[in-house]
Amino acid sequence: MNLFLSQISAIVWKDFVTELKTRELFSAMFIFALLVILIFIFSVNLSIVKASEVGPGILWVAFLFSGTIGLNRSFMLEKENGCLMGLLLAPADRTAIYFGKLISNFVFLTIMELFILPLFMIFFNIDLIEHLFPLLFVIFLGTLGFCALGTLLSSLASNLKTREIMLPILLYPLLVPVVIGVVRMTGQILAGEPLSEMMNWIGLTTSFDIIYIGVSIMTIDHILEE
Amino acid sequence: MADNPKPDSSESAIEVRQLRKEFGVLKAVDGISFDLKRGDFLSVFGPNGAGKTTLIKILTGLTRPSSGTARVAGYDVAEGVPEMRREIGVISHSPALYADLTSMENLVFFGKMYGLECPEESALAVLEDVGLAPRRHDRVRTFSRGMLQRLSIARAILHDPSILFLDEPFTGLDIHASNVLKEHLQFLHNKKRTILMTTHDVSCGLEMCDKVALQVMGQFAFFEDIKDIDKENFETMYFDAVRNNQFTMGIRPH
Repeated sequence: MNLFLSQISAIVWKDFVTELKTRELFSAMFIFALLVILIFIFSVNLSIVKASEVGPGILWVAFLFSGTIGLNRSFMLEKENGCLMGLLLAPADRTAIYFGKLISNFVFLTIMELFILPLFMIFFNIDLIEHLFPLLFVIFLGTLGFCALGTLLSSLASNLKTREIMLPILLYPLLVPVVIGVVRMTGQILAGEPLSEMMNWIGLTTSFDIIYIGVSIMTIDHILEE
Repeated sequence: MADNPKPDSSESAIEVRQLRKEFGVLKAVDGISFDLKRGDFLSVFGPNGAGKTTLIKILTGLTRPSSGTARVAGYDVAEGVPEMRREIGVISHSPALYADLTSMENLVFFGKMYGLECPEESALAVLEDVGLAPRRHDRVRTFSRGMLQRLSIARAILHDPSILFLDEPFTGLDIHASNVLKEHLQFLHNKKRTILMTTHDVSCGLEMCDKVALQVMGQFAFFEDIKDIDKENFETMYFDAVRNNQFTMGIRPH
């Protein structure tokens, strides 16, 4: 296998083995997402507002907030014991490190989202089964954009003392276009509209996903340098 | 992708010319120049804050110098090429090991990052070298400081580098662990590996090296062959430098 790809897969393998042993990341993200949804259920009167109207926003707030916990934890692992220094000393392209962490973050967050979806369906009494594939496509686009930008910014924030605060402060404003896109698309999907009706939003979200990944490739060298 | 500069075929392992690193007004490295041939062992002594760690960070490509040049294994450190990192091994204050992975998993991971053909075999071989093969399935979190340092050596020599950088490797080690580390360093020195070590342990540093440097306020105040120095005089000079540094730390003329 090409060295670049084998280095990416080594980082993903390492993150998965660590997570299988500790289960810290998944459990923290899952419980937090569940709590966010429960808090909204108690605070929103579903007899007045339609679940399909408030549901998409609540779902994505839960995904993004819990995903932020995951991103913070992800680079914290690399900072413990100076592991990031060990990674930087390896003859690896910095983009291989970025893509390794991006794939790990993306897979962990996607797995958590797949566990949350059935609970969301039950709590909000919304039938997601008939909209499952379009919804999974939108979740893929949103999660990719979130992880692409989040991985870059968490590597930047990991050098700061106030990293837990700085990551959301840096991340959320820049993520607004993707959040608007995926929340709108999720709402339209739950209203029964086909994906072909929302090509503008798909185009916007995909464009920002590509921009985030492109900017990350261009800047990760400087960000990972001390 | 641009061609990477090839190393020269000379005997020189490390060439440093007027190297400087400034953090605002603080000159961590202030015009250091020296050469090390392949197989040389340089011990760098110096009080805390003298810039020893910064010097190692520059030479290993972790930090860019403010000015001056440094070539390691023939590669310009400022270029930060992966080929240079393949030639070096680093042992620092922190072990650079994942606490929740086993020692074997850690080394296999780094073996994959270095592109070794059989990372499992290489990992097992170096674990046997450092005497940790029986603990290969134990999580690193359960290791003592001495074991961590031995595993850190295993990580650093896993890819058989020609140049080793050690940043105060004896810190926190008991006598036994310290002796084990000394034996490993002697073994690597006998294998003609170039070694640059910073340390506060004067007797140990002088015992193993063949070149000595004293770094004070970012500069090499002293750089000689071990055979040309009087060890007692050097110890006195070093302790004077440490004593004086207590009064001047953080205040630096420029």
